[in-house]
Amino acid sequence: MEMLLMGVCISLFGLAVTAAAFGAATQSDRMETKPLPEHQPIAKVVPAHFFAEDVVIPAPPAYKVPIEALLLQIDSHVRLEQAAAESFLEYPTTALLHSRTCSPLIQ
Amino acid sequence: MFDKRVELFSGLSSQQHDELIALGVRSTLPSGSVLFELGAPADHLYVILRGRIRLTLPMPIRGHEEDILVEESGPGETVGWSALIPPCRYTLKAAAPLETEVLALPKEALHRHFEASPATAAAVTQNVAMLIGKRLQLFQTMWLREMQRMLELRCA
Repeated sequence: MEMLLMGVCISLFGLAVTAAAFGAATQSDRMETKPLPEHQPIAKVVPAHFFAEDVVIPAPPAYKVPIEALLLQIDSHVRLEQAAAESFLEYPTTALLHSRTCSPLIQ
Repeated sequence: MFDKRVELFSGLSSQQHDELIALGVRSTLPSGSVLFELGAPADHLYVILRGRIRLTLPMPIRGHEEDILVEESGPGETVGWSALIPPCRYTLKAAAPLETEVLALPKEALHRHFEASPATAAAVTQNVAMLIGKRLQLFQTMWLREMQRMLELRCA
């Protein structure tokens, strides 16, 4: 009987030690739990705009050919084309109709 | 200057020729002056005796309206035949790039003369028809050449 009681006591003691150890172990786990990551801000979504906010007005293009020169080129082009058309009407051939021009407006 | 080189008078007898000339008024245009404006009532037909007449149409270029050459006529040639064709409005602008002399034939005087002289009317009408036909052929050829270039650019 005494032996039985002693075994029960030892078992209870062991159980208590085990429970204590388990409790300590789980406590440390709870302590080491990482904090939840802070809320990461979501990158701002750019609202869609129908019109651009900053309208960039393009500078007037810098023309390579002055207007006076351009008008002279047009004049020359018309004269050359008229001459080509007159040649075709005098001798109507496909070659004359589609002859190349040396007009500076086209080159 | 009133000889066979004047395309409008081609095929006329000497008497018909003189009668027509008697209807006109010689006028000298200083360099740069405008003979008629696009859209203006066409009340005169002009025969160029000396100098040049630029026939132009307006075209916007770089934000400005410019007179673009359509045709340039010289001595013996006729401009302003819109005066004989309804609705009798000039379809081009005409200006003298240098001092130019023209014979201005008033539309009303021409019509009266044509009523009195049907033979002259027939000859002049035929000459005007030839002018119009020539210009039509010329411009349809020029138009086709431009179309050809446009297609070459598009297919390039």
